[in-house]
Amino acid sequence: MSRVDGRLKVTGGATYAADNQLTGLVYGVLVTSTIAKGRIKAIDTQAARKAPGVLEIITYQNAPKVPGYEAKPTGQTRVDGQEFRVFYNDEILFNNQPVALVLADTFERANHAASLVTVQYAQAPHQTALRPNLTKGTKPKRADDYLRGQANAYTTAPVRVEQEYTTPINVHNPMEPHAATAVWQDANNVTVYNKTQAVRIAQQDIMKAFNLKEENVRVHSPFVGGAFGSSSRVWPQEMAAILGAKKVGRPVKVVLRRDQVFNMVGYRPESIQKVGIGASPDGKLVGITHEAYGLTSSYEQFAERIVDPSKSLYSCPNLNTTYKLVPLDLSTPCWTRGPGESSGSFALESAMDELAYALGMDPIALRLANFAENDPENQHPWTSNQLRACYERGATQFNWARRTPAPGSMRDGDWLVGLGMSAGIYKAGRSPATARATLLADGSLLVQSATADVGPGTYTIMTQIAADVMSMDPAHVRFELGDSALPPAPGQFGSHTTTSVGSAVYDVCLSLRQKVLELASGQAITTRDGYVELLRQKGMPQLSVTKESKSGSEEKTHSGKSFCANFVEVWVHPVTGQVRVVKVVSALDVGKVINAKTARSQVLGSVVWGLGMALMEEGQIDHRFGRYVNKDLADYHLPVFADVPDIDVILIDQPDTILDPIGAKGIGEIGMIGFAAAVANAVYHATGKRIRNLPITPDKLMA
Amino acid sequence: MINFQYLRASSPKSAIDGVRTDLSAQFIAGGTNLIDLMKRGITAPPKLVDINNLPLRDIADEGKTIRIGALALNSTVADHSLILKKLPLLAQALNAGASAQIRNMATVGGNMMQRTRCPYFYDPSLPCNKRAPGSGCGAVAGINRMHAIFGLEPVPDQHVCIAVHPSDMCVALAALDATVEVWGPGGNRTIPFTGFHRLPGSNPQKDNTLQHGELITALRLPDNALATHSHYLKIRDRASYAFALISVAAALDLKGKTIQQARLAMGGVAHKPWRLTEAEQVLIGKPATEATFREAAQVAMRGARAFEHNTYKLKLAPAAIVEALTRAAG
Amino acid sequence: MQHNEPDRNNNAGQEARRDFLKQSTLLTALSLTPSVVVQAAEKHLDEKAAAYFEQVTLKLTINGKPYTLSVEPRVTLLDLLRERLNLTGTKKGCDYGQCGACTVHIDGRRTLSCLTFAVMHEGQAVTTIEGLAEAGPQGKLHPVQEAFIRHDGFQCGYCTPGQIMSAIGCLREDRANSPDEIREYMSGNICRCGAYNNIVDAIAEVKKGGQKV
Repeated sequence: MSRVDGRLKVTGGATYAADNQLTGLVYGVLVTSTIAKGRIKAIDTQAARKAPGVLEIITYQNAPKVPGYEAKPTGQTRVDGQEFRVFYNDEILFNNQPVALVLADTFERANHAASLVTVQYAQAPHQTALRPNLTKGTKPKRADDYLRGQANAYTTAPVRVEQEYTTPINVHNPMEPHAATAVWQDANNVTVYNKTQAVRIAQQDIMKAFNLKEENVRVHSPFVGGAFGSSSRVWPQEMAAILGAKKVGRPVKVVLRRDQVFNMVGYRPESIQKVGIGASPDGKLVGITHEAYGLTSSYEQFAERIVDPSKSLYSCPNLNTTYKLVPLDLSTPCWTRGPGESSGSFALESAMDELAYALGMDPIALRLANFAENDPENQHPWTSNQLRACYERGATQFNWARRTPAPGSMRDGDWLVGLGMSAGIYKAGRSPATARATLLADGSLLVQSATADVGPGTYTIMTQIAADVMSMDPAHVRFELGDSALPPAPGQFGSHTTTSVGSAVYDVCLSLRQKVLELASGQAITTRDGYVELLRQKGMPQLSVTKESKSGSEEKTHSGKSFCANFVEVWVHPVTGQVRVVKVVSALDVGKVINAKTARSQVLGSVVWGLGMALMEEGQIDHRFGRYVNKDLADYHLPVFADVPDIDVILIDQPDTILDPIGAKGIGEIGMIGFAAAVANAVYHATGKRIRNLPITPDKLMA
Repeated sequence: MINFQYLRASSPKSAIDGVRTDLSAQFIAGGTNLIDLMKRGITAPPKLVDINNLPLRDIADEGKTIRIGALALNSTVADHSLILKKLPLLAQALNAGASAQIRNMATVGGNMMQRTRCPYFYDPSLPCNKRAPGSGCGAVAGINRMHAIFGLEPVPDQHVCIAVHPSDMCVALAALDATVEVWGPGGNRTIPFTGFHRLPGSNPQKDNTLQHGELITALRLPDNALATHSHYLKIRDRASYAFALISVAAALDLKGKTIQQARLAMGGVAHKPWRLTEAEQVLIGKPATEATFREAAQVAMRGARAFEHNTYKLKLAPAAIVEALTRAAG
Repeated sequence: MQHNEPDRNNNAGQEARRDFLKQSTLLTALSLTPSVVVQAAEKHLDEKAAAYFEQVTLKLTINGKPYTLSVEPRVTLLDLLRERLNLTGTKKGCDYGQCGACTVHIDGRRTLSCLTFAVMHEGQAVTTIEGLAEAGPQGKLHPVQEAFIRHDGFQCGYCTPGQIMSAIGCLREDRANSPDEIREYMSGNICRCGAYNNIVDAIAEVKKGGQKV
């Protein structure tokens, strides 16, 4: 089934955060710092205030008070520490930090006036580089070291690999820059149109900040132009718009410039990882040690699940992991597609490939020899696991059998050919979610839940689930999301929308169907006319059921994961070092597939992300200035059409009978896990050069 | 962005008059680089003279030369049958640059006027002698992976600039012995293409040898015997829509296997498109073999020096020369 | 039909502005010394005074409708469409010509609306994503729009208007003869969701179908 919102999206009719042109709209443009650390000595706004069209300029000196900024950190927030407080005081905590908001009647006038604001700083020495500061690394409050069996047992194994792998900063860079439009209806009621993966979280954050009740804060986000984790908390543009609107008493729109997207709305933190892995000569793993360093801001601890794939992907008796965070003078990183797992799996799956070579063993055979029958982290049985089928069907489709293992042994014309593979694992679970299903007088069905659709096809999938349960034509079902006033749902992240909200939609529709059955005295109704007639007979304008849905005891007794096997063919030019990915096969176990079209699209997206991570994405900071130097889309390379080859997606499509009532596991991230390693492994196979520092750019292959 | 004065010129003379009298005025054609620079506060001309209505778009075969009007669009030139037949190297280079949309907007003259993409130039809060003379070069001890390896004469810190010229088209034009026709307040003149762009010297803020108020009206390219054996090789961080790490324009006139004439230029290596005349001399009269190409590449690399992050160019550049020549000869 | 946007700026100084415009749009007047006000504006001295003189008239056609507007020269075509004319289907992705989300057609040619000033398009015809389908919620879609839906050529949908406008350009330029050619000639349109292969399929299908684009 094609997307239900397809027509809106292809006609320009879908309204994203910056598309809300409210009457009396005022444009807000942020002025940002040019130092990474220190204090504001003086802000001169005189010239800007004189510029045409300027209504107000907000700085820390005149910003409306934010009561929530005064509260002590509770330790209950999703990221530990003191959130960044916009226009709070004279402190500069990171480069390109917002220091003023210029409000004017047109975008051009606001923009120009912003260029007239001058700021003087008292600069303090900053630290933005991870490696020179590793000794400052500490165990994050919310991530524990892990040990099973003996620590560092890999050192006792007859065959072992011990290497360091690094991954750079990656920036989400959704095509839609982050934006918010805010309007205060009165002193206590605010409405925000923003870009968010979680209208309820945004609402709660705003309630807390301004000490408002739930009914006083309304957040709308019906369409989100990509987010990938970057819109899962409230950021400066929302706060600036709300403060600006409060100050001028009119709606205010704040849209981040692309360079501001680089450090104001999170990013994937850099990592330095050491993996030690040892096996007996027959390929049985003896021990794995995975030690990771990440970075965070000076004011919050953002912890990733970087060592998680190592804990569960393979059966291995001895395993120890550590994770340390280095606080730096940067903004706080945040969840980025496969947050932690993407970086961690690059190290693990590269090391596995190195081990396969050390053993003289086929990389798939090595993985099969260490297949985990239960989750090795906790010995719980899997809710379902089709990883073997992923290896098998992926290898067949890819024709893995053609691979001759020796590096540099395969060619096509001038080009060196490399075939590489990897495996991936990603948590599958669900969170409590509530949905409302309403049978309307015209016999159509309205289903609502405060989830989001940042691109995976939630509008469509929920429509399908509801239509399926109600035996209705999907054309007669409408699903609404992206409004904080709707029944609560978790944010759209962590690949759990279908399991959580899908289950809620399923459950509420079952209840509604049951209600209809009772009303109709046991007569099943299957037609729209039948519903119209029933409501008419009963004198009901509509029939509505609201229901919360959540996991049961299976969460404690079983381990839910999605799995994948990635196969990549690269061609490397032996003279110029250019790498072309020419074929990809992704085989995935994501439980039951609700919509084959959108599910496949999710995997295509993960592959393109993996390809970008492997070959080109790197946020570069000049540490002398603590400032990004490649903060636009010409210098920070995202994959373009010409980079992306044919991608075969194999969905095993076996329902998970334990995790949730609809059989789904989650698909938004799994296709990216391990993918960068599959590319690096293929490059090694093509060239004999093992690149352990992403991205694999031509200069590294020339070295 | 300031709200500049906008004027639409109806003749080259009125355009030149419009800019001549005002030292900070600028012409605008496609605008694809100028508007970008204005948005980022790197340049702020208070007056723009729009030259898009001027009759400078024709592409004509004038017998021994091909004349391309300065306002011909990059895409028009790249798709033009005359160019495809006689100057395929130019078409290839054009199509290797930017995107289809930008090529539909950008003019040939504007492409020549492109400023460097050095990130230090592009961020007004960072030092850059090209943007803010005397502020220092951010790149020389910074992130200089994209930067120059040629044309780096020792100069005092306040003049240092290791930026590269970003154009692909200009690399082909440098190889193809183009000349630039210019009209200006002081009359009309012709500039050999290799003399159009300049090295930074003690004036890194100046990219080229145009005088204020001078307007590029056309390019002239000599017809040549190089069309059959030419290749534009561009090595970049992704497969399309990225600036070159290294690019090579190579063209050969072969008689049997013997090289009669050769043209060779590189992009991504210097403050200007980098013509390699000495390497060309090495090629002439020799067989078109890998050994010959290697010898030429070695000569081409004389005088190259690298910085912390672009040492790879010392290996990649000669490799790219050999590869481009091999494909040209093939 | 003439679509005139109400002037939401202060009307004071209209007369003086008209006089100034008479001078500035005629290059023959260039030899005249710019007025004191313009000099002030150039030197950023008193912009409030200069503001009255900052707009120029512009006539252009958008999606078949003629518009007569008064705009500041610094307004990009993209911002004019989105912020003044409420044609928000055209998207701002990067604002620097590096992503393709703002692609529109000017006189039939695919162009980046963020890298051009509106005033540079006097008398020209602009087509945006809103101008492709027949009017109304059930109006007939353009073949490329239909193909995008059929092939799931988008996820979040944000780059989609630009992709579709660019795809039409790619087809008109006859650069859609193979998947590789489509990939090269669509590379100016970035899709962070990674819908590339589905877009290639959509374009190839329209090419194969031979529909007029």
